[in-house]
Amino acid sequence: MTRRLRKNLMSVALLAVFGGVLWLCQDFGPRARMIPQPLAVFGIVLTLIQMAWHSMGGEEPPTMEMISVDAGAIPEGGEGRPREERTEEQLGRWGEAGAFAIVALLVAMVFTAGIFPAVFLFTAGYLILSRHCTPLRGLAWSVAMTLAIYLLFVLGLEMQVYHGLLGQWLG
Amino acid sequence: MIDAISAGLLALLTPQAMLFMVIGVVYGLVIGILPGLGGVVAMALLLPFTYGFDPVATLALLLGAHIATIWGDSVTSILFSVPGSAKGLALCFDGYPMTKQGKAKRALSASATGALMGGIIGAIFLALCIPLIRPVILALGPSEYLMMALWGLTVIATFSDGSLMKGLIASVLGVLTAFIGMDVVTATPRFTFGSEFLMDGISFPVAMIGLFAVSEMMKMSIRGTPIIDRSLVKEDSTVWQGICDAFRHWWLVIRSSLLGLWIGVLPGVGASVAGLAAYAQAAQTSKTPERFGKGAVEGVIAPDATMGANEGGGLMPTLAFGIPGGESMAILLVAFIGLGIVPGPEMLTKNLDIVFSMVWIIVFANIVVTVIGLGITPWLARLPSLQANLMVPIVLSVCFVGAYATRGRIEDVLVAAVFGVIGYVMDKNRYSRANFVIGMVLAVMIERNLHISLNLYGNDFLLDRPIALAMLAFVVFTAAMPFWRARRKRLTAAGGRA
Repeated sequence: MTRRLRKNLMSVALLAVFGGVLWLCQDFGPRARMIPQPLAVFGIVLTLIQMAWHSMGGEEPPTMEMISVDAGAIPEGGEGRPREERTEEQLGRWGEAGAFAIVALLVAMVFTAGIFPAVFLFTAGYLILSRHCTPLRGLAWSVAMTLAIYLLFVLGLEMQVYHGLLGQWLG
Repeated sequence: MIDAISAGLLALLTPQAMLFMVIGVVYGLVIGILPGLGGVVAMALLLPFTYGFDPVATLALLLGAHIATIWGDSVTSILFSVPGSAKGLALCFDGYPMTKQGKAKRALSASATGALMGGIIGAIFLALCIPLIRPVILALGPSEYLMMALWGLTVIATFSDGSLMKGLIASVLGVLTAFIGMDVVTATPRFTFGSEFLMDGISFPVAMIGLFAVSEMMKMSIRGTPIIDRSLVKEDSTVWQGICDAFRHWWLVIRSSLLGLWIGVLPGVGASVAGLAAYAQAAQTSKTPERFGKGAVEGVIAPDATMGANEGGGLMPTLAFGIPGGESMAILLVAFIGLGIVPGPEMLTKNLDIVFSMVWIIVFANIVVTVIGLGITPWLARLPSLQANLMVPIVLSVCFVGAYATRGRIEDVLVAAVFGVIGYVMDKNRYSRANFVIGMVLAVMIERNLHISLNLYGNDFLLDRPIALAMLAFVVFTAAMPFWRARRKRLTAAGGRA
């Protein structure tokens, strides 16, 4: 996917979100939509300006020459290659799809097996499959970590344990 | 007053009170480092243990825990760019870049020392201001708070990651996200799609866990390398450098502390706004603002000093009027009632010794936090160099358990994951996640105060409130200043070329 296509897709997604907000606001009373409605319009205007700027070939809309803050950026004095290129270069074995799959897998495991079995299976699986350590050490690490989280959250913070759909099914 | 100051100190210097304070501090540090669990959770969990003990010892436990969570939040923000709660957000901006440059020890120690200095300055000014602050608080109403929140939104421009347009879009998205759920003013369910879960709105800590922690772990799993590769970046800073930094920037510390004290005094504004405002003022008043966001130590010192002082300020309306300065102060209010302490003007006359005990607790708790913090900094600084294959499963697991623990709703795990993906996409396309969060923080404050102002003073409420009008002028001025500065810079550059 080219950079321009990705930017346009992002803008279209944003327009859909703001348009959806505008549409949903019609059902609210005047007080309830007093702020969301004009904000959605403002969002649409900003996105359209952004799209127009990109279509005219601009890299980024004009910056304010103020402070460039990026909580996740690699700080190299603002120099160096754009982050997109760096990320592409640094793709690991699984890549982006793998990262999404990891998150989806953990969520699915939490919902089906419950919190602590999911934590144990996920950490053990990750450590062993990524070959970070031997299966035995991976299992030992996972047991230790699951136990630590259990002690901290359940015994220390009195969190109610979620047993998952399987737990409910098994009674 | 001198009697009250010494009586307050003597009440704290008992073995029980000191022990409770140290327990509170250690407990608070652990809670602060966990994602999603901040000072509010720490204090709420301690409430059952507050009955039957000496009031000062109980307050030492609660306030000690609360103060320690602030630095605990800062640790994860600096080391992993994962704020434990909204308070720690401003620390990500320069703390994390410092970590990536091999200056984690310096950032952590500057943060701890800044918080200590802020806490002490805040406590001193609190003690001095006790007789003066009452008329000031009473002069401010919802219209003035609305202007303050608007000022916060205009300051957002400062945080724009390169593109102002994208920064504003991210803020708008954040504000709209905060409106998901039941509108408390009109009792209208907004953007809930009939879901009972969404009626409660999006939990702020859960959104933060997703936007920062989950998305960072996604990035790390893609890269497959640790946050810091020690073969490329050596940790070449020392704890002492950070301590010296905080003292060298003493004027910034004083300014930030006074800002924190002031924001703390205002009921309902909160430390999250204080940290961001401190960062903005540090950047705006710096002679070299271009260093901010790239590892400027002032960007670490200012928010921590502000948050340190903020706690002292937050005590003021809680004690004097029974109006909590923030969520954690609301929990403290519950503890007061349990202890038989009735907040109100009498606190500043009859029970002044208890007030000064709390001032002393703030001072001593800050000292204990800093001593422990500086002691463990060398070990903490090693964490970012842990292997990605070890970090990703551990942090992701803790994040999802933390998201669930926030409200005990399993749906929050899904929300954290969704916000993780949103955070990843935003970061990849350079839409500032920080702006999104700031929008979320300020949205509720803006809407609530706008509605109250309209109800109280009508559509022309600004004309009825001269202070609010003056504040609006200030908002316009601060919003226009960056544009004016940019224009002047361009003209100077053009003149130089000519």
